Amino acid sequence: MDDSNPGAVIVSGAGSGIGHAVTRRLLDEGYGVSAWDIAAGQLAGANDPRLMFSSLDVRDKSAMDRAVADTVDRFGRVAGLVTCAAIFKAKPFLELDESTWDATFAVNLKGTLLACQAVLPAMRRQGGGAIVMFASSLARSGAVHGAHYAATKGGVLGFARSLALEVATDNIRVNVVSPGLTDTPQPRGNMSDQEIRAKATQIPLGRIGTPDDMAETVMFLLSDDASFVTGQDIRVNGGAGLF
Amino acid sequence: MENVLVTGAASGIGQAAARRLARRMHVIVADRNADGAAALAGELRRAGHAATPVEVDVSRGESVRRMATEIEAKVGPVHALFNNAGFNRRGRVEAITEDDWDAMMATHVKGMYLCAQAVLPQMCARGAGAIVNTSSDFAVMGVAGIAAYTSAKTAIYSLTKSLALEFAPHGIRVNAIGPGPIDTPLLRSGRAPGEEAAALEQQRQRIPMGRLGKPEEVAAVVDFLLDRRSSYITGQIVHPNGGALSW
Repeated sequence: MDDSNPGAVIVSGAGSGIGHAVTRRLLDEGYGVSAWDIAAGQLAGANDPRLMFSSLDVRDKSAMDRAVADTVDRFGRVAGLVTCAAIFKAKPFLELDESTWDATFAVNLKGTLLACQAVLPAMRRQGGGAIVMFASSLARSGAVHGAHYAATKGGVLGFARSLALEVATDNIRVNVVSPGLTDTPQPRGNMSDQEIRAKATQIPLGRIGTPDDMAETVMFLLSDDASFVTGQDIRVNGGAGLF
Repeated sequence: MENVLVTGAASGIGQAAARRLARRMHVIVADRNADGAAALAGELRRAGHAATPVEVDVSRGESVRRMATEIEAKVGPVHALFNNAGFNRRGRVEAITEDDWDAMMATHVKGMYLCAQAVLPQMCARGAGAIVNTSSDFAVMGVAGIAAYTSAKTAIYSLTKSLALEFAPHGIRVNAIGPGPIDTPLLRSGRAPGEEAAALEQQRQRIPMGRLGKPEEVAAVVDFLLDRRSSYITGQIVHPNGGALSW
């Protein structure tokens, strides 16, 4: 990586949770960040010359094409893409309506595909890059009331591995982070604090994950330290469910 | 400064890891090859790093215990362990002798158990520590012609997960690396004369990134897994393999 211009990393779902922590960490490390989300969320009022916010929906490919062009104009190159945008509304399987199913797939899986499609031409032109996608422990373990969400995250694993193979000779690395239960707004939409505390006691390292835990692994996967790492799924889960 | 014990440190991945870890830790350079260990420790010291060589045959409990005593006297506590000593020997299953099999399991699996056992009590007492074990891509894929080696590497993966679960409550993390083909003396070993180049080319062709890995690229992953940066990662196997296998 050119030390004088680390370029920009694009982060989808940057307004809250893990995406927000990744954005903050990238800025701390001197990267430019092109932050994407429907709403600015925790980035509202942020005033950093290296931060550029685009209000967009990851279902909208043309909006992302424009945002990539803006990113290249502003920062010169796209060093990385981190896809954090996802939705999860827990539903008992027999109450799972088609619109929830479709919306979850549109954002979590197709949104990931479209973001990659928007970014890859720029990465190919500049001769390389790194992509980190967020899946979930639930992709492998499954989840009660989370069939639709787990299916999208399993899809992310399959998609990431295939993309990794396809772009390996373009010097583009593609990896996945699969968090366990993490301290973000997302699980609180489906679980009480008491339920979250009870889950923490079952995790070998004795606590749930933090957004910063996930950001650390993203930084590793984006960096040259991971130069021979591609197609991998790094499970940042405190040792919960080893298989 | 914290201390890290690296076994199999005189060559290949172990040597690269010792050099990388020396940037931030005192490296205990452990190897069966005493001259190799002394040479590397000398090189690191001349570069301004802290390093201490020790001779050990990790397959023998008495040797590992002697090493532990020596480390305690010369260096002090072991904060991190890179369990890496290993070798390869090729041969189809029907040709593997009992001695070959035993040697393979002794150096790889028993060696990791012995070294982990030597350092875990003090890690538990401090409530902190990190261990990385060298497994292989082959741990989860199997390969014709090196059944003893792949069996050992899969056993290491299982040992890693069990240790991770047992010592997580003590604040100790245990992970494995599963490298793909890395350009080291081990990858080149055991080939018939004149076949080395063809064998390496065959290995290269199975790598989506189109090249063999460098020992330094594996060392960077080891450094991550032994560092606070991975403080919520335990029981995992991370594959620096150029995309050769996704697991």
